Amino acid sequence: MGIHKVEPSDAELVRRVRAGDTGAYGALVSRYRDRLGRYAVHMIGDREDAEEALQDSFVRAYRSLARCDDPARFGAWLYGILVNRCRTTGARAARRRRMFVRDAQALDGAAHADQADRLDWTDAVDRALARLAPDYREAFLLKHVEDLEYEEIAELTGAGVSALKMRVKRAREQLQKYLREAEHV
Amino acid sequence: MFEREDETVERVIQHLRRPVAVDPGLDARVMRQIAQVPREERRGRPLLWPLLAAAAVVATVLVAQPWNRNAASTADTLQFVLVAPQAASVALVGDFNDWDPARSPMQTAHGAGIWATVVRLAPGRYRYAFLVNGVEWRADPNAPAAKDDEFGTPSSVITVGGRGS
Amino acid sequence: MILAALLLVTQVAVQDPRLDRLDPDTRSAVAAVVDSARVARLPIEPIIQRALEGATKGAPATRIVAAVRRLAVDLGIARAALGTSASEAELEAAVAALRAGATPQVIARLRDARRPPLTMALSVLADLVASGVPADSAAAAVLALAPKARDADLVEFRRAVERDIALGAPPGAATSVRLNAGALDITPGSLSSPGTPIRRSRP
Repeated sequence: MGIHKVEPSDAELVRRVRAGDTGAYGALVSRYRDRLGRYAVHMIGDREDAEEALQDSFVRAYRSLARCDDPARFGAWLYGILVNRCRTTGARAARRRRMFVRDAQALDGAAHADQADRLDWTDAVDRALARLAPDYREAFLLKHVEDLEYEEIAELTGAGVSALKMRVKRAREQLQKYLREAEHV
Repeated sequence: MFEREDETVERVIQHLRRPVAVDPGLDARVMRQIAQVPREERRGRPLLWPLLAAAAVVATVLVAQPWNRNAASTADTLQFVLVAPQAASVALVGDFNDWDPARSPMQTAHGAGIWATVVRLAPGRYRYAFLVNGVEWRADPNAPAAKDDEFGTPSSVITVGGRGS
Repeated sequence: MILAALLLVTQVAVQDPRLDRLDPDTRSAVAAVVDSARVARLPIEPIIQRALEGATKGAPATRIVAAVRRLAVDLGIARAALGTSASEAELEAAVAALRAGATPQVIARLRDARRPPLTMALSVLADLVASGVPADSAAAAVLALAPKARDADLVEFRRAVERDIALGAPPGAATSVRLNAGALDITPGSLSSPGTPIRRSRP
């Protein structure tokens, strides 16, 4: 028998999991953990909630693995589960985001006072992102950070391509606006 | 002005694209949770195993690249095969799955009587056996026998070499 | 004193939920063995797996407890032969080799003859004996191959010997024939005199 080195494809790993090798699912988790985690963290805005959403998505994907029609596109299918899960993320994150917005607005006010400190730029980005409407943020992240095509995003989100392009455009405009405001602090 | 604003968004995108390190403990949490998933829920579409030429097929060793950067050793992915045309069910049990028949049920191509499953094993020496129809213990005819058998039923041995063993 | 020991045993029994598959008396006896092994810094996973094997096979409690106790003792002997830096996998393989008839001295010689990990070499030794090769022939063969052969070579050697035996060759002869095919000559008697040089056989 030959001994050959292979890095199993997603399709191969899915096949093995379906054959009963639960351990093979661990490989898929490792493969996608950080990539999907990045989306979840930026979308939800809270590390803990994001990891919970991510964990939940992995478990859901496992339970419904029989419904993954194209195992070669397991990653995209998993994204869809995560995107949906992030939409329904708990009230906790939503409350925190509103706090962000309040803080940002308070700072806007303080910008015209003398005592406002200069915001760290990355903080400013996080806050700006948090201020976007959820579907703008979702479209922006999937397009520009996760590099999906509009057709793929349409499949994942159920929105039309032209609606998505509009959301991404609005997201870019708003981010520019919020960051310009932050710069003047 | 337009160019500068575009630059701002590009900077944002570059910042957001930086890798995010998720707690690696998440993997274990996921695996623990899916271990609780009831067996019936796990069955996917029925699989068609290719017909194997002869019963003399031994375990095929596929050496997998460690895709988990945290793994200290290279695990091997191995296929276990048993020819049992009369069996209604065959489970692989051994030191790698707590001797739990529910963990590695084997699959067969419809009517072919050739049962198989795939398991990923870290380097080490493992005793194992096949449990046929939930009651009959069989050793692997294509593997070394486990001679120190204290429980009166046949077992086999598989040894996986590699770093970390 | 007894109460403290009982409490300690109860604690250990609670720690590994897999032992819940055993009935309470068996569980506490096994847990006591696990605990002693832990204190002695021996690997406990093989002990737990042996108990689980017995549970799945429906073995009587006395057999399960005897099996795990024996394993714990053998792991200690293996560790004495291999040294404290031996890995869990090496210790398990060494136990198999010991039970196949290799002496602790042979194990120690193997440790000196080969860079770690020794898992495969020890396993092949045990597996050769399981195929019918006399223990000293198997030991001699593995020691001869140990310095230079890769793990994959050792596995191939074992398979070749097993094929020959399946075709009707006497196991001891099959071993030396395969060794000679590799241009190394060693006879079982040389084990008793460690200084015997290894001669190249003439073609």
